[in-house]
Amino acid sequence: MNAALDKTAVFICHCSGNISERIDINSLKKTLKAEGIPVFDYEYLCSREGQTLIKNKILEGKLDRIVIGSCTPSKHGTLFKKCIQEAGLNRAMLEIANLREHCAWVHPDKAGATEKALSLIRGKLNRLENHKPLEEIKVNIVPQALVIGGGIAGITAAVNLADNGISTYLVEKESSIGGNMAKIGKVFSPDKLAEECAMCSLSPLMNEVVANPRITLLTWTEVERLSGSAGNFTVRLRKKSRYVHDNCTGCGRCSRVCPVLVENEFNCGYIDKKAISLRFSQSVPKIYCIDPDYCLQFKGETCGKCVEACKSGAIDFSQKEEIIELNVGAVIVATGFEEYDVSQKPQYGYGFFKNVITQMELARMLGINGPSKGILVKPSDFSLDPDAVSSTSTCSTERSLENSSEKGSGTPKRIVMIQCVGSRDEKEGGNRYCSRYCCMAALKHSNLIMKKYPGTEITICYVDLRALGFYENYYRAVQDIGVRFVRGRPAEIVEKPDKSLLVRLEDTLNQKITELPADLVILSAAMVPSKGTRKIASILNISQDESGFIKERHSKLRPVDSSLDGIFVCGTAQSPKDVTDTISQAGLAAIRGSAFIADSPKALVNEIPTINQLLCDQCTECLKCPFEAFSLNDSGKVIVDPLVCTGCGYCTELCQKGAIQISGFTKSQLKAEVEGVVKEGDLLGFVNSGIASITCDNIGNSALTYPSNVKLVKVPTNLVVDKDLLLHAFKCGASAVLFIEDPPDSPKVEVIYPLTISHFEKLKKELGDSGDRLYFKKAYVPNTRGLAGTFTSLAREGEMI
Amino acid sequence: MKAIEDVPDNQLLLFKSCMVGQEYPGVETSTCYIFDRLGIDYCINDEQSCCTGIGHYTDVFEGLTTAAIAARNFAVAKRCGYPNITCLCSTCYAVNKEACETLNTNTEVREKINSIFLEKGLENLVYEKDDMNPRTNFYHAVEILLSKVDKIREQKKFDFSGIKTASHHACHYYKVKYLDVLGNPENPQLIDNISAACGAEPVRWYEDRTLTCGMGFSQLHLNKDTSLQVTKTKLDSLQRAGVELMLHMCPNCQIQYDRYQPVIEREFGVKYDMVHMNIAQFAALSMGADPYKVCGFQTHSVPLEGFLEKNGII
Repeated sequence: MNAALDKTAVFICHCSGNISERIDINSLKKTLKAEGIPVFDYEYLCSREGQTLIKNKILEGKLDRIVIGSCTPSKHGTLFKKCIQEAGLNRAMLEIANLREHCAWVHPDKAGATEKALSLIRGKLNRLENHKPLEEIKVNIVPQALVIGGGIAGITAAVNLADNGISTYLVEKESSIGGNMAKIGKVFSPDKLAEECAMCSLSPLMNEVVANPRITLLTWTEVERLSGSAGNFTVRLRKKSRYVHDNCTGCGRCSRVCPVLVENEFNCGYIDKKAISLRFSQSVPKIYCIDPDYCLQFKGETCGKCVEACKSGAIDFSQKEEIIELNVGAVIVATGFEEYDVSQKPQYGYGFFKNVITQMELARMLGINGPSKGILVKPSDFSLDPDAVSSTSTCSTERSLENSSEKGSGTPKRIVMIQCVGSRDEKEGGNRYCSRYCCMAALKHSNLIMKKYPGTEITICYVDLRALGFYENYYRAVQDIGVRFVRGRPAEIVEKPDKSLLVRLEDTLNQKITELPADLVILSAAMVPSKGTRKIASILNISQDESGFIKERHSKLRPVDSSLDGIFVCGTAQSPKDVTDTISQAGLAAIRGSAFIADSPKALVNEIPTINQLLCDQCTECLKCPFEAFSLNDSGKVIVDPLVCTGCGYCTELCQKGAIQISGFTKSQLKAEVEGVVKEGDLLGFVNSGIASITCDNIGNSALTYPSNVKLVKVPTNLVVDKDLLLHAFKCGASAVLFIEDPPDSPKVEVIYPLTISHFEKLKKELGDSGDRLYFKKAYVPNTRGLAGTFTSLAREGEMI
Repeated sequence: MKAIEDVPDNQLLLFKSCMVGQEYPGVETSTCYIFDRLGIDYCINDEQSCCTGIGHYTDVFEGLTTAAIAARNFAVAKRCGYPNITCLCSTCYAVNKEACETLNTNTEVREKINSIFLEKGLENLVYEKDDMNPRTNFYHAVEILLSKVDKIREQKKFDFSGIKTASHHACHYYKVKYLDVLGNPENPQLIDNISAACGAEPVRWYEDRTLTCGMGFSQLHLNKDTSLQVTKTKLDSLQRAGVELMLHMCPNCQIQYDRYQPVIEREFGVKYDMVHMNIAQFAALSMGADPYKVCGFQTHSVPLEGFLEKNGII
C-alpha cells in the first residue's frame, strides 16, 4: 500500500439492498483488505448510526483520509463532509464513490458492477493521495431577502420572513399584489363544506404587506438580472412607470372620466376596464396606473381628462421608469401558474363557441367583482353596456345585467364541466401530470351554483375524481346535492344554431356513447407554469422540470430549495397545487430563507481557482475570464473573487504557465483518479458537475442501463481537461473519451458552453489521429434515455476496437 | 412531433399509390406539377410495387408479406438514391412507416424475410436494421407541399377567395402514427394552411371533424349501411357549415366521399352542394394547372364543372 494512504479507510453503504444486491460487497472488502486498506460496511451510512460508525473508526484508527462508497454525492455529500469534519478531518479528505446511480442501478450484471465499483473506489483512493486540506472561504450573508411574485405564495413568504425579523423586498410585475387568488372569488377548504371568500382571507394579508415596516413592496416591477452568489446576490429591477405618483388617494375620479375602454386581463379578457385603472377594487397599493398602449395622451392625442379630474395632482405623463439595484442574501421565487391554453383542444370549441369557458373564467363570473357581478350568465347572451361602464369608476355592469336577468334567458340551466383539459394528457400539446386543483375547483363551483341557482343541472365529466384527504367530505356533499358525475373524457362539443351545446362522450362505466346537452360548458384547464415563472428560471439560472416548473433540489428532503444555494421556490411556480398547499409551502420557503440568512458567515464551496504566485508571471491572460472574477491587487498580484467565480476552469486553459488550478480538480488529482478508474477498453466520461451530472444520476433513477465499462469522472466543466490528461486517459486504456456538458439554457452556461465547444475542438485537433476518439454531448435533464443510449453505443464501439 | 423545418425537399421517392393510379390519377399528376414548379428533387421509380395496404386491411395480405414487400420497396428507394419515401396515399404512408418500425425492432421478422430473400437469390433486397428510419425517411406528399406553402402562395394564378373549404385529414396519417404528425394531432392543420395559401377560407372547426370517412376498407363492402351512415353524418355536418369544397389527402377518403356522395344522395333522398378534391389538385389548380390534363377532374363522380365555371377557370 502507498505510504500516503496508510491512514485511509473505505466505508461502503448497502443502501438497504440498493447497492448490496447488485454489488458483491464481500468481494470488494476482500480485495481491498488484501491490499491493507481497512474496509467497513453498513446498512445505511447516512443514518445516525452509520455516521457514528464513521466517526468512531476515524478516532479509533487515527484515520486521515476517507472514501465512502454510497449514493450520489449530490444527495448526502454535505452530510458526510459534516460527519468527517466533526471527527476532526478537513472536508477535502473525503471522497465519495457513487456506487448507486453510477453503478448498482445502471449495471444489472453483478460481476460487471462489482468490478466497476472496485475501480471507482480505486479512483477515489488514488485521488486522496494528492489531497491537500482546503481552506474554508467564508462570506457574510446580506441580511435581506427578495421575494419574487406577489400572489398568495409570495405574500405568505414575505410576511413570514418579515415576522422572522428579516428585511424583505416583495416584487410584483402587475400593478397590485394578489395574484390568481384575488381572481378566484371563493376558495374551498378541507375541513368545512362552506366556501370561504378568497378576498376576505387575502385582503388582510395584503394590507399587512403594506403595514409591515420590514417589507418593501415594489409593484409594476420586474426582475431583470441577478448576479453574485448565494448570500450576496445583486438584483437589478426595472420599475415601470405608472404615470401616477404615490400621492394618489385612490378616489377613482380619473377612471370615471377616462374615455378609453381596454381589455381587462384580471377579468379574463372582458373589455371592461379603463386606460387608467386599478387592477381590482381592493388593489394593494391602491394607486391607479395608466396603460400607455391605450391612453390617448400616449397615442399623440390631447386628452388630459384624468389630469383635470385628479384633485391631488398625482398624474404625471412624464414619469420615468426606474432601475433599482438591491443586495440580498436569499431569494424566494413565487411566480405562479397560468391556465393551459385550452384552444389547443379545438374539439372543445374554446375561442369560437361563446358558451365554452374555463374554470378561471367561471370563477371571475361568480366573483361579485367580476364582469357580471357574480351573476351566472351565458356569455352568448351577455354584453356589457358601454354606458354603464363609462359612468362608474371600476366598470359596474349591473344595469346591463339587470336587463338580462330580467329576461331570464341568460341564466344557463344545464352546465357540463370537463375535467383534465390539458392535464393527464399524453397527446402532443398536453401535460402528463395531474394539476391537482381542478377536481376541487369543479366541485366548489358546482356547489356554489347549486346553492345560488337551485335546479341547475350540473354534470362533471371526469377521468378520475381526486378529492384527497379531508376533501372527500366535500365530494360526498356535492354528490348529495344532485350534481351528476360521468366518467369519460369528452370527444367533441357541438354548437347548435341557438348557441346551446352538445357534449359527446363515452360514459366509460357503462361503455355507452352519451350526448349531454348544455347551455354552458366549463373546461377545467391544466395548471402550467406562468410566463413569469419560465422567464425568472432563466434569469436566475435555476433548473426547471420538463414542463417548465422550477425544480426543487429533492422532492422530499429539500422540497423548496432550487438548484442554486440561497434561492428557494414555493407555490405553483414549483408544481401544481391548491391555495392550502401553497400557503404551507410558502411558510417553509420563508423558514428556509431566513435560516439561510441566519447562518452567517457562510462557508462557500471552495472548488475555485488557486493561483501559484511563484509560477505566475502576471501575463494577465486570466483577466480574460468572462465573469471578470480575476483582478490585480495593489501589489500587482493576480487575485480571484470567490463570490463572482463560477469555478468553470476556463482560467486553467488561459494560463500558459500552469499557475492556476481548480481546488479539488488539480491536474494531479484528475490524473490520479483516471489512473484508478480506467481499465482497458473503457469509455471515460468527464461530466460537468451541473445539469450534466444530474442527468447522469437520473439514468440510475430512471432504471435505465448502460455497459459497466462506462466510467464517469466529475469535473467542474470540461475546461479543466487538457491534452495531457486525455493522453494519460488513452494510455491507461480508455478507448474513447466523452465530454458531457451542460446545455446553454441559462445565462451562466450560455457563456461557458461556447468555451467548452471551442476547447473540445481545439483538443480534437491537437490530438491528431486520437482526436477521433474524443466525443462531446450536451446533456439535458429530460434526455436521460438519450444519454444512456450514447453511453451504450460509444462503449460498444470501443469494444469493437 | 415532426418539425416543418425538418421536412426534406430532395431525394424524394414519390411513392405511387394503387388507389391514386386507379381512381384519381390527377392527384399524382397534380403533385408532380407542383413539385416541378417548386424545384423539388423527386423521382418516380417503376420498380416500386404496391404497399399492400388495401389487401392488408381486407385481410388478403398478412403482416409478414406486407413487411417483406415494404423491405423490397425500401431497397428500390435506396438503390435509386431517393430514400425519402413520399406517399400520395395516407395508407401507403402508415403501412410503410409501420413496416419500417417492425423491420428495425422485430429481429425474428427481419431475419425471416431476409432468409427468404437469400433463398431466392435476392441478396440486393436484404434489409439491415436501421437501413431506414421510420421518423425521417417517410413523408406524406402534403407535408412537402406544406413546407413550401409560401412558394405555392407566390405562384398562385387563381385566387379562391371566398370559397369555403373543409379539410378531411386522413386517419392513416394523423391517427395511426399520432406522435409523428406535423402539428397538433388533435387539430391537424396541414390541408387548411395550404388551402388558405390558395386564397380559400377553411372553416376552422366543424362538427365531427375528426370522424373517419367511413370507408374502413372491407367495412364499405361488408357493412355498407353503417359505412355510408358515417359518411352521411359528416356530409350533413359540412352542408350545415356551408362548405363548398371538401379537401382530401388520401384517395380512400376521396373515393368514399366523391364516389359515394351520389349513392348517399340517392339512397337517403338527400342533396349535397359540396364537391371534392385532393389538396394537391386544388393547389395545382390555383397555380394554373389544366383542370383535365393535369388535375384529372374527368375521373371524378361529383362533377366539378359548376365549381370551375363559378371561379372562372373554364
